Amino acid sequence: MRLERSRKAEAIIPTASMADIAFLLIIFFMVTTAYEVDRTQVRLPLSRTRQESQKGAAVVVIARDPKSGAVSYRFSDGRRTSRAVGSPSDVYLEASRITYGEPTRPFVVKADATLRYAQVDEVLDQLRSAGAENLVLLTRQKGAKEPS
Amino acid sequence: MKIIRKTAIRAEIPTASMADIAFLLIIFFMVTTVFSSNRGLELSLPREDPSTSAPSPEEAVFLQVRPDSSLLADCRPMQLADLLDYMATRLEKNPRKPVILYTHPDAPYQAMISVYDVLASAQAERGFKVLNLSIPTQRDMDEYVRLFGSNPLEAACR
Repeated sequence: MRLERSRKAEAIIPTASMADIAFLLIIFFMVTTAYEVDRTQVRLPLSRTRQESQKGAAVVVIARDPKSGAVSYRFSDGRRTSRAVGSPSDVYLEASRITYGEPTRPFVVKADATLRYAQVDEVLDQLRSAGAENLVLLTRQKGAKEPS
Repeated sequence: MKIIRKTAIRAEIPTASMADIAFLLIIFFMVTTVFSSNRGLELSLPREDPSTSAPSPEEAVFLQVRPDSSLLADCRPMQLADLLDYMATRLEKNPRKPVILYTHPDAPYQAMISVYDVLASAQAERGFKVLNLSIPTQRDMDEYVRLFGSNPLEAACR
């Protein structure tokens, strides 16, 4: 009689490289993550030409409520999260504080496409008075998906 | 004689929970990540200087965005698609000729951006650059009205 040798193979999932993969992903997310100082949902205007704004730029948000049409303003110095400001003249005060210490600091204007130009112009004028020189008017790529 | 039992403990770093921690961190970064979308059109604001005045429409290329989003180039209706051709002809002799982009206060912001976008794309599309672009603000216009009694940019097209 032939004796059958027991050959039970143990089921093992090789997990040795899992931590490597996980850490690789962590490093990827750490490098690509950019903490947005402002997350206000704004329907940006469309454009084909777009340049990257500099890191640490101060952000001015001009948002428009689609239902009521009310315009609101937010400001961030580029380091702290944006906060609501009452009017364009408050934007002037906030921007002046920045340009006083750092005259070449760039500004980013994040304005709703459906605004009347006068409402954007008012803020641009206040920024100019505050001594801001380099601006980026945020836009959305032409053909990009509409934000929900 | 007493036999000493061999009790050498193998040095080991417990790595069982490392993958858990790593995946926890991945989830954290995935949730908090926002890929930077800070892209747009660059604009240089002029310095505050009362002695510098805006160029007059006669010696410049005068673009006007009207409240209905239509465009006038030197007081003539112009389609956006034809603007670069027109600009190329106007700036051919003097590339530093001032270009005034005046947007009516009631025009939508998108209309102004569309025109500005076309001007910004001149380098990539046609190989010339609009070097001397002036975007007067409403305060500039109010100042003109105070001095001359009417908006010179709007009056130029009458």
